[in-house]
Amino acid sequence: MKELIKNITELYGPSGREHEVREFIKKEIEDYVDEIKIDKLGNLIAIKKGHSGKTILFDAHMDEIGVVVTHIIDGGFLKIEQVGGQFPLNLVGARLNFKGRIGVVGIEGETDKELRENYKNVSLDNIYVDIGVSSKEEAEKYAPIGTFGVFADGFVDYGEYCLSKALDDRIGCASLIETIKQMKDNKHTVIFAFTVQEEVGLVGAFVSAYDYNVDRAIAIDVTDSLDTPKALKRMSMKLGYGPCIKIKDLASVSDREVVDWIKDTAVNNNIKYQLEVLTLGGTNAAGYQRTKSGIPSCTISIPTRYIHSPHEMICYSDVVDTVELILALSEADF
Amino acid sequence: MRKYLKDLTELPGISSREEKVREYIKSQVEGKVNNITIDNLGNLICFVKGKDSSKKMMVDAHMDEVGFMVTKINDDGTLGISPVGGVDPRVIKSQRLKIEGVLNAVVNSTPIHLDKDIKRVIKYEEIKVYAGFSSKEEASKKVNLGDMVTFDTTYVEEGNYALSKAFDDRVGCSIMLDIIDYIYENKLQPAFDTYFNFATQEEVGLRGTGVAAARIKPDFALVLEGTTAGDNPENPPEKWATHIGNGPVITFMHSGLVIKKEMFETIVNAAKALNIKFQYKMRTAGGTNAAKLAKTMYGIPAGVISVPCRYIHSPLAILNIDDYNNTYSLVKELVTNNERWVNYERAH
Repeated sequence: MKELIKNITELYGPSGREHEVREFIKKEIEDYVDEIKIDKLGNLIAIKKGHSGKTILFDAHMDEIGVVVTHIIDGGFLKIEQVGGQFPLNLVGARLNFKGRIGVVGIEGETDKELRENYKNVSLDNIYVDIGVSSKEEAEKYAPIGTFGVFADGFVDYGEYCLSKALDDRIGCASLIETIKQMKDNKHTVIFAFTVQEEVGLVGAFVSAYDYNVDRAIAIDVTDSLDTPKALKRMSMKLGYGPCIKIKDLASVSDREVVDWIKDTAVNNNIKYQLEVLTLGGTNAAGYQRTKSGIPSCTISIPTRYIHSPHEMICYSDVVDTVELILALSEADF
Repeated sequence: MRKYLKDLTELPGISSREEKVREYIKSQVEGKVNNITIDNLGNLICFVKGKDSSKKMMVDAHMDEVGFMVTKINDDGTLGISPVGGVDPRVIKSQRLKIEGVLNAVVNSTPIHLDKDIKRVIKYEEIKVYAGFSSKEEASKKVNLGDMVTFDTTYVEEGNYALSKAFDDRVGCSIMLDIIDYIYENKLQPAFDTYFNFATQEEVGLRGTGVAAARIKPDFALVLEGTTAGDNPENPPEKWATHIGNGPVITFMHSGLVIKKEMFETIVNAAKALNIKFQYKMRTAGGTNAAKLAKTMYGIPAGVISVPCRYIHSPLAILNIDDYNNTYSLVKELVTNNERWVNYERAH
């Protein structure tokens, strides 16, 4: 599965430009599912039919955070805006990939004082991107206004831990792909929704379930791991302690029955789990809660360090446990 | 062309109080379209049968403008107001306002000899609107809490520029009316069954358009807007969002949505084919009804085309008439030419 994680995280796929990721996933899963379709927003939806008469949906979003070129200034430097929640400080020193053209970020400052100030308060207004060209015309060839960029960093396997860009939420996609490959004679009908544009506002998840009568929807996403020095101390998710069953975040409160169902399934199958109350953020579960007359929803999160940075870190055993839990849920009565 | 722009911008119509705008538009389209529907949220939906009825296109512009509501009647007869939609309090000091489109009023400003701190921004809590009353009792006879308050601005055209309030988004409404006229006067048909939706309550959270779309069930949509320029003379070009005079604005991304790549390219290709000057929106803050449409039902892909306006969300905004005309041409091309949409299948 690590090969899969490497391949899928290294793909280029900022919000609204998930094309490569979608093609990749489609190829991976099409021989293993009963139905597959792409809706008009670009969500990839696959179905494995069951026999219980009940339908559950698992969601993972294909997009990653990024940047977009908004101006090309004299000398061929780019000004950018964020696509999804960027911490501008993370951009400094990072390599950015504008569909093949690599860029690096520089900080403006015409005096020592201004430069020091700008280093302290890095914002998209005081940085620029250098893509190794010498003129505006040349820059327009490689990265015209409207070109999306993502972090260019690749996968590192530490054995127990893994590092890559875009684990948010390709690790969810990889978990679902692995689940699909392992799943046989599932009891419930299972819909796998690989969705678009989560990072800019949960766009895909608001509409991906519209055509189906879904009984329960579960987003597979990442959550903050707080096992690092002086991390936010009000939360307790940790790498290596299993998938996190979300109680709430800022976008949704999980359905209590769904939470209990997941918890019981984990206990019955001897799968490690953690409970998660996230004091920030949100997931696609909020979109499913508001689809049609409302789908009872929850999120299963994979604890991750340094989310929305070029280097996100996970524990491999959490991913294996997540796949096991998803497989168990597709058999678990409710 | 452009014969409705003056009337449309001068009419008062904050979010939820679009009735005067709606009545005006309705009176202008009656007899020119196949069907007119007003839904429960006040959206005015004008249906025009197309050459190809296998698909439905929605064209959307919102009728509401940013403004205020009366939220307090003070003992001295002055009024307290609260914004409806985003209005920076710095733009309203000393301005003329209209209450319910009828009563004249003026916003207070502290004389300079009493307020030396010129950097301080006045807050809505401190704003008092004087409408000629000297007591609460007197004011209460003519003014009610919740009354609509709008900027009092007269439309002016000078050379290649027009100045008025509420270009956001009466300019979109005006272009839709011009296109309805063009189709009617030339006895043409739009490319597909087309629903021109004059939407309500955009400025307070994109509320009208999703409800209209649920009725229409379109396969794709075009959202027409008056958008911010931010190209004030004092700003360097990299701070601009758009630039007046540079043509229709095509959006690749804004708050809450990346425009579907294929839709974005369809619009860009149409502009290139027409050989008109166009520009991209170079800031991504702020949203449009397209974000709501994407999240409605099965997901409606929508493109966004805007007329750039300088000093938007203020009493006085400026647009360039060539920009208006080019935006009209671009939208007209997309509404009437089936060839532009050959790669589009039914959404649902």
